[in-house]
Amino acid sequence: MNFNRRDFLKGLGLASTAWMLPRQLSAQSAPPHVIVIGGGFGGATVAKYLKLWGGNINVTLIDRNAQHYACILSNLVVTGALSMSRITLDYGTLKSKRGVNVIQGEALEVDPANRRVNVLVNGQYSAYPYDKLVLAPGIEFIPPDGNYREDLTPHAWKAGPQTLLLKQMLSSMSSKQTFVMTIPKSPYRCPPGPYERACAVADVLKRRKTGCKVVVLDANPSIQAEPHNFGIAFNDTYKGMLTYIPNAGVLSVDSKTKTVTTAAGKFTGHVLNVIPNQRAGQIVTAAGLANDPTGRWSLVNPLSYASPIHPDIHILGDSQATGQPKSGHMANAQAKVCADAIIRSFRGEAPDPNPVTSSACFSPITSSKASWLTASFQYDPGTKSMKRVEASFAEASSATSDGMQQMFQWADNIFADSFK
Amino acid sequence: MNPPSRFSPSPAAAPISHARRRSLVREFAIAAAVLASLSTQAAPPPGQLLASQCFQCHGTNGRAVGGFESINGKSADDMYKKLLEMSTRRPEGIMDVQARAYTPIQLKLIATYLASLPAQAATSVQR
Ligand SMILES: Cc1cc2nc3c(=O)[nH]c(=O)nc-3n(C[C@H](O)[C@H](O)[C@H](O)COP(=O)(O)OP(=O)(O)OC[C@H]3O[C@@H](n4cnc5c(N)ncnc54)[C@H](O)[C@@H]3O)c2cc1C
Ligand code: HEC
Repeated sequence: MNFNRRDFLKGLGLASTAWMLPRQLSAQSAPPHVIVIGGGFGGATVAKYLKLWGGNINVTLIDRNAQHYACILSNLVVTGALSMSRITLDYGTLKSKRGVNVIQGEALEVDPANRRVNVLVNGQYSAYPYDKLVLAPGIEFIPPDGNYREDLTPHAWKAGPQTLLLKQMLSSMSSKQTFVMTIPKSPYRCPPGPYERACAVADVLKRRKTGCKVVVLDANPSIQAEPHNFGIAFNDTYKGMLTYIPNAGVLSVDSKTKTVTTAAGKFTGHVLNVIPNQRAGQIVTAAGLANDPTGRWSLVNPLSYASPIHPDIHILGDSQATGQPKSGHMANAQAKVCADAIIRSFRGEAPDPNPVTSSACFSPITSSKASWLTASFQYDPGTKSMKRVEASFAEASSATSDGMQQMFQWADNIFADSFK
Repeated sequence: MNPPSRFSPSPAAAPISHARRRSLVREFAIAAAVLASLSTQAAPPPGQLLASQCFQCHGTNGRAVGGFESINGKSADDMYKKLLEMSTRRPEGIMDVQARAYTPIQLKLIATYLASLPAQAATSVQR
């Protein structure tokens, strides 16, 4: 923005900032304004808890969509077990009950010097001023080489139309056909998610069609989450129909012929589900905040999720680089730490020095049984990072029908805790 | 990079000049914020942030929307004992693993905070 401090002062006919002090103090009767970009699990939760805990704070939540489609449970929409409405979360309660100002728009760029964010709303460009900005845009994909097209080889890793596209491709498979999927290099959104998808797809093909195969091409050297339960599923439950191939990073994709070339060879499927490698949401990268050593994710202070580059900008959820897992449960957890820290900062206080965060994932392994995975993190002042509490890191001893029931109860609660 | 002229101050938010004025006097911002917030923001009660990590499963303010037990407005002593027990017994389910995330001091703070929340509303459908 070239509207700078000097122009502004000139515009007001002011000579010095000293004059501003009394104005500034009296202007403080206006409540502070927090803008949140991205109304997913991180963004919705931070907006809600700023209102719930913060009292007199103006909160504006901006998302490109009128509602959020949760990735959580979306593998069961792919298989046809659940309908899209089960994972569709609207912002009505955040508006009416919590008093969040919700705006549908595309955030295009951040202007940290002037503390405003530029947003396209209804075809109009607007600048939104903030005192604090929270970026929770989730992930962006790094398109693979080749003529990759997500309309022909869907990822279904951001829920919505992609989920329905993969569902339709899966349901139109006939007997003896092959479903090929690729798993991105870690870190990516939802460590157990791809293995869960492999199981959900294998389950439905096993029950509905004859002689179908599932090929799972993992860029990583081994199963990245719940190795015990997914190991049993791959080696036992889906023995003979599911092939798991590690160290099979994608080299190129030909979406037209549904062919993927990997470090472990070339594979063609009737359905090809490419889940590309990932990085922080575009708005984070555009703001120069994707500053971890890989250049993909955003380094933040885990006591507040504030950026060390621009302390008034907080980045949380899948986009951040604290080493904590990229999950909805974790995005919600971080959002509460961030909301608390922002409220304290408006009081002139430092963040809570001892935050705890958790992640939890429930994974359907068959149509009636699910396993779970959880890990929690405590702040370690020595390394200034969130450190996993080893005793709090475990997966279910087996997939059970109780686990399946708990999965739906957990989903109800986390959906409501984030969006209602 | 969009030309700045395409961006107009948003009517939905506070006037742009207000925010600019603020950014101009950042050196005073902290003092001003303290003054302002003394009247508008209460200090976060101890245990609130820790206990909110239970709400993904047990509902906002400990009031579950279905399935899992609500954990608001119970006896702090009972809650603390239960949490300690869950954090030390042979883990049976995800809750026992969750309880292991916290130190006994943190569990006590959580139990005390949860006890201070109003008990389940009578009209609620939760068990
Ligand atoms: C198949 C699958 C299963 C999963 N299962 C689980 C599970 O069991 N448990 C679990 O905890 N997690 C699970 N996850 C992971 C979880 O969905 C994500 O980790 C979580 O959604 C991350 O939250 P977030 O707020 O960072 O991003 P999101 O929830 O993706 O929210 C980002 C939001 O930002 C908006 N946005 C982005 N950029 C802009 C912009 N420039 N302007 C306006 N709006 C913008 C998007 O529209 C979106 O609504 C699963 C994921 C998948 C794919
Ligand atoms: C990942 C989800 C999850 C999280 C997070 C979680 N719990 Fe639980 N909790 C459960 C489950 C599952 C049960 C068992 C419910 C059942 O069997 O009906 C449970 C049970 C309980 C019980 C009842 C125990 C009994 O036997 O009476 C208490 C009390 C409890 N949790 C407190 C907490 C507290 C406090 C926290 C936060 C520190 C917390 N929970 C976090 C999932 C969770």
